[in-house]
Amino acid sequence: MLRFYSLMGMLLFLCTMSYAQSKQISGRVTDQKDGSSLPGVTVKVKGTNAGTVTTPDGTYKLDVPAEGTSIIFSFVGYSDQEIVIGNQKTINVILSTGNKDLSEVVVVGYGTQNKRDLTGAVSKISAKEIENQPVVSFESAIQGKTPGVVIESGSGKVGQGIKVRIRGTSSISASSQPLYVVDGMPVNSTSNTDVNNDPTNPMADINPNDIESIEVLKDASAAAIYGARASNGVILITTKKGKSGEKTRLELNANAGWGKPTQKRGFLNAKEYVTLLEERAVNDGKTAFATKDPRFPFPTEAASIAYFKKRVEDEFTSLTLGKDFNNLGYSTNWEDASFRNTAHSQQLDLSATGGTDKTKFYVSGFYNNQEAVVINNKFVRYGGRLNLEHAATDKVSFGMNVNVSRSQLDRISNDNTFSTPSQLVAQSPLSPLYDSTGAINNNTLYPNGLFDAQFNSNRQVTFRTLGNVFLNYKILPTLSFRSELGADISSLTEDQFIGVQSSDAFGKGGGLSNYTQDVALNTNNYFTFTPNLGADHLFSATAGMSYLQDDFSTTQVSGELFPSDIIKKLVAAASITFGNSTAQRYTFLSYFGRANYAYKGKYLASVSLRGDGSSRFGPNKRYGAFPAGSLGWVASEEGFLKDNKTLNFLKFRVSYGTTGNAEIGENRYLTLLEPTAYPLLPGYRPRQMGNPDLKWEKTKQFDVGLEFGLFNNRLSGEVDYYNKQTSDLLLQANLPYTTGYDFQYLNIGNMENKGVEIMLNSVNIDTRHFKWNTSLNLAYNKNRVKDIKGQIIESTSGEQRAVEGQPIGVFYMAKFAGVDPQTGNALYIDGSGKPNADFSQAERMVVGKSTPDWTGGFTNTFSGYGFDLSVFFSFVQGNDIYNRAAIYQDNGFASGYDNQLRDVLNRWQKPGDITNVPRLSRYYSDGASDNSSRWLFDGSYIRLKSLTLGYSLPKSVINTLKISGLRVYVAGYNLWTKTKYNGDPEINSDVMGNIAGGIDYYTVPQAKQITLGLNVKF
Amino acid sequence: MKSYKRYITLCLLAVSAVGLPACNKKLEVAPGSYIVPDQVKTESDVRAELLGAYSNLQHYDAYGERAILIPELLSDEGELSFEGTFLTYRQYQDKAQLKTSAIAEGIWQRGFKTINNVNIVLSNLNLVSKDNKTAIEAEAKFVRGLMYFNLCNLFGKPYSAGAVTTNLAIPLILDPIIAQEDLQKGYQPRATVDAVHKQIVADLVFATTNLGETNEKGRANKYAAYAILSRVYMAEGLYDKAAIAANEVIKSDAFALTSTFDKAFNNGLNSSEDIFAIQQTNQSNAGTVNNGLQTFYAGYDFGSRGDIIIDLDKIPAYEPDDVRGSFFYENYGLAVDDGFYTGKWKEQYKVIPVVRLAEMYLTRAESNLRAGTTVGAEPLDDINLVRERSHATALAAVTADIAVAERIRELAFEGDKLWTYKRLKKSVGAFTYTDNKLVLPIPQRETDVNTKLTQNPGY
Repeated sequence: MLRFYSLMGMLLFLCTMSYAQSKQISGRVTDQKDGSSLPGVTVKVKGTNAGTVTTPDGTYKLDVPAEGTSIIFSFVGYSDQEIVIGNQKTINVILSTGNKDLSEVVVVGYGTQNKRDLTGAVSKISAKEIENQPVVSFESAIQGKTPGVVIESGSGKVGQGIKVRIRGTSSISASSQPLYVVDGMPVNSTSNTDVNNDPTNPMADINPNDIESIEVLKDASAAAIYGARASNGVILITTKKGKSGEKTRLELNANAGWGKPTQKRGFLNAKEYVTLLEERAVNDGKTAFATKDPRFPFPTEAASIAYFKKRVEDEFTSLTLGKDFNNLGYSTNWEDASFRNTAHSQQLDLSATGGTDKTKFYVSGFYNNQEAVVINNKFVRYGGRLNLEHAATDKVSFGMNVNVSRSQLDRISNDNTFSTPSQLVAQSPLSPLYDSTGAINNNTLYPNGLFDAQFNSNRQVTFRTLGNVFLNYKILPTLSFRSELGADISSLTEDQFIGVQSSDAFGKGGGLSNYTQDVALNTNNYFTFTPNLGADHLFSATAGMSYLQDDFSTTQVSGELFPSDIIKKLVAAASITFGNSTAQRYTFLSYFGRANYAYKGKYLASVSLRGDGSSRFGPNKRYGAFPAGSLGWVASEEGFLKDNKTLNFLKFRVSYGTTGNAEIGENRYLTLLEPTAYPLLPGYRPRQMGNPDLKWEKTKQFDVGLEFGLFNNRLSGEVDYYNKQTSDLLLQANLPYTTGYDFQYLNIGNMENKGVEIMLNSVNIDTRHFKWNTSLNLAYNKNRVKDIKGQIIESTSGEQRAVEGQPIGVFYMAKFAGVDPQTGNALYIDGSGKPNADFSQAERMVVGKSTPDWTGGFTNTFSGYGFDLSVFFSFVQGNDIYNRAAIYQDNGFASGYDNQLRDVLNRWQKPGDITNVPRLSRYYSDGASDNSSRWLFDGSYIRLKSLTLGYSLPKSVINTLKISGLRVYVAGYNLWTKTKYNGDPEINSDVMGNIAGGIDYYTVPQAKQITLGLNVKF
Repeated sequence: MKSYKRYITLCLLAVSAVGLPACNKKLEVAPGSYIVPDQVKTESDVRAELLGAYSNLQHYDAYGERAILIPELLSDEGELSFEGTFLTYRQYQDKAQLKTSAIAEGIWQRGFKTINNVNIVLSNLNLVSKDNKTAIEAEAKFVRGLMYFNLCNLFGKPYSAGAVTTNLAIPLILDPIIAQEDLQKGYQPRATVDAVHKQIVADLVFATTNLGETNEKGRANKYAAYAILSRVYMAEGLYDKAAIAANEVIKSDAFALTSTFDKAFNNGLNSSEDIFAIQQTNQSNAGTVNNGLQTFYAGYDFGSRGDIIIDLDKIPAYEPDDVRGSFFYENYGLAVDDGFYTGKWKEQYKVIPVVRLAEMYLTRAESNLRAGTTVGAEPLDDINLVRERSHATALAAVTADIAVAERIRELAFEGDKLWTYKRLKKSVGAFTYTDNKLVLPIPQRETDVNTKLTQNPGY
């Protein structure tokens, strides 16, 4: 508290210092090329110390001493201009030839900065790259667009959680998702859905077309202003705003899309299925007889084989519903049945933007409807946004940004359920889709998901109000205050219904109603101080406080025994089987300050400090301090480089700082007892062992970067090296169950991420009629779990774990060593390092990793004669994918009658066969149903993520139509992929995990889409 | 405009001076859906902690399913078959369970959670009034004795195998663990079979002495303690004591055999012969989809998976008129086209008998025969009483072996067979009673995190 007041006092004192004045000149500086405002331009009175820089809207006000006669406007990458003052009071200037990017305004926490003056690593993605993509949420649109930001949407299901990793995974047990801040307000980005299904994505409530820019704060210098919540990086989302003096403009966006799965895997057809199962029967008959298996005592080998053959043939007859399986005349392709013929999508939004001197606005209405490639999964969103700002006086302005939306998600169950459509592939090709009466066949190997789909539904509806009101008050010309009060309110209802006839219903029918309310209130109050210290010194400081309070409550009821399928609400359930409600709050209280200084536009420095307190930690360790500092040097401003024809811009920057992480959920420091509900006997039982000394996870990050512009800035780029060291890991450390508890959160261990990021932009051709730009981004990250004090922390399903000295999420399982050519048995590496056919002797070991080494994207854009073409590839290299479903679908029928991947056709058949696919067997195939590296594949891929061809009507036609612009486009997504993985490489069944990753478990592949769109500006 | 400005300045100052310090208090947030140990302050709070332990007993890792199902799968000699898709269960039937088995891990986990739960109750007795103190202590000790007996049986070699002072069972944790500084008490090596049995007997004897003759529905009374104690004594080969314990239950007249065999099962409330049973309702049960005894044992038409089918050719031999021999029904399951299912675990949300009066008669009879005593009644009368209820003909003479055969018939699929075989040193098919695979592995997770634990042989 004391810190806050003293800071305030200091600021007020500084404000009182002012300069002698004589004459004031004002004006605006714009770019010659497109007439846009140029912020950050140095405006200096020649021969004096007097000077200033232009504001974000390109304007300036300058007090000119009596002796001043002319003003020099200078800006990196632009030619200087000298204007004689004379009698002018307003001087507007147009600067020519330069790299516009450097003057770009970049949104940073609690303020903005010019890109040129930035000393932190911040990536900016503009609206153009986000708009009009056939995606539900903006994260998918920026995938592969920024170096060091790895985005994984786990499957082709829509509306699901999306994994975002900025500069690697920096936590093991706490969340590694970045902090999302929308128009200054941290927003809820974690799933509130039914915990038994996959997480959904609350960011999908924001219309991507409303986004003006996304800034990714990557290094400590940029992110530390968000202190305790910044270890995983910060994503700042700024929505579209009106501009003063802008004529009201209406814009219509419409597009429609058609999608199919990128890839189908391919399973056996009926004939192959029969042949191979007969072969399995013969194999088992022989082995049973040869080994004198007491379970199958037969006098002769022939009798033994006959027994096994009869068993499979009985099953065939049952599967075919009694038809002759040798002359079936059909083969059911269940994989095809799990997908829609075509997944449709439509998007429509209409916006208006404009402004006067006093009032600026942006208003939009949006509608989006997207079907997943898989059946029954669909997302619909509609809503509106209003962003308004009004200047009451020249000192006071206020406004609000508000987004109201309704998102509806028709869901399918998670990957690990029979009823999820993608598990249909396990069904036999012998089973017909329809029975003799024409109804969907439900006498299948497993409950038929298609059958159940007729009766079941699962709909989640979210109402989200996201917005803030703000007040700006210019206390003095050099000191302003901003207060923001925001709310993020989401109400989520989820209604699940299982029809009476559905196989999951056991003849009873079932329903679940889940209501979740999440109300976050946030206030930011801060001062910004920008004293005028002359043209050589640019100083700004920000100090303030922030408070966040989040109240989360749930109500859940489920019931069964429905009279029929007509009423799908619980009113019709004769028996209520579950009902409860819960509530929880968390709070964060923070103070922050930052100062930026630039000398002569070439020596830059920045320091920041944030202090955070949170309800997530006990009184012993409640507060944490997160400092950061950075330096920059614009070398191209030095005399020896100033007029270099080749090297137009060169900047070095270095930063170091500490950020924190507290994303472990609530009450982790407390020992807890939970209520129990033994029939009519209410009680408590121990639930969690607390740790009163639990504290923030800390990440210290060093970053050194280089920015450059060459050949008239035709080639520009940015290179960063970073070293992130996370310590005091918030680790969910196993306790022996003999303590009565499962785990305890401890601050133990260290993890690191080191990497390089490269961003290159090149203007290859730039003529009046034709332009060709290329952009390449490339990132390398090496993650290493340095020390977790011997803790064994596994993914939920146990295939992956954190291993000291290894990257997080290594696959830890038996190592497959091929197939014995003599016996056809699978071999695994045993404890002595030798191949062994006995799976129980197999040693679990590190066999691969799910985290990639290199990630990036490559974009080429061409434009000319009204056409524009953009070709965007994204790629990932160095990661592995594990097909967990292979223990059922590629195990040589070891678990029964699950249909098999076509890989099984390469099985071992006779001694001498050299193959990697073991002999077919139900009873004698050791390890076939256990996890091993046999199903671990290189997950690297390069994918033509998007290809867009647009045509804009020429001016003459537009004028005739009395509109200001019209563009039509056709775009393709995921049209081409190169990978060694037999399936879609962009999958991850357990999408949000830190340790779990790269798991394919009947996962729905991504969509390959074509869209047609129209954009009209009025 | 001036006043406007002043107003804002005042507001700012107000926010800074009043609002911010108040915010610091906002960081104190109480758990919304849990309590902390300090909130246990009164007798009724301690009672609530005791009742929490029953919820643990109901869990599928305890008597809601696995404490009964897993021994049954291990002792299978062909009479049942786990046909479901959960390979982990199938492994127990095949005696191929692994040290990473989630089932062994779950049983261990729930067992020690229950034990800590009641240890905490025992440490809070100072909050209980003098009148109720011993009863609460006795009930907590009953739960602890029951759970230790279950864990000791599953994770240690049988008492009958001898070497009880060297054979290892499970760690003996008798102190409450509720705070950081208690944790070290949970890192214990395995105690011997002997040490664990001594503790079980001490706890259960205390319970028999100090529990009341009646208790709330579903809670243990002194006869529940006697019934479990009779099992412990049988396992220890102390048949004289077993007969006395069983006799205490029978002679109390607090229980009566149900008029017909079928009435002993699928009851919404305890039957007249339930000495101790797990209570279940549609809102509080051990599971209905992926867990629960009935979920596996019953056919699909009864809301279940129908995973465990019975081979009527391999069940114990029943006389034609014996209703127990026809206590099966034909149905199907998620992975079964057609099969027979036991009628014992047929309907959803019904109480799960842990120990029934019929067992006490069988125990008294067999124990009297083995000890050469006639505590309470003639063994032949006890056996015939049980047989007559099911319309089996009355026997003219009885031996210990005949009593055992009756026990297997009466208690089939109730989780008794393995323990009977083990105490009698009888092989399960090709597996001798001391076979390593008839003992559960110490969960790998536990040996990883507590180096004082040693693994069982064979894993």
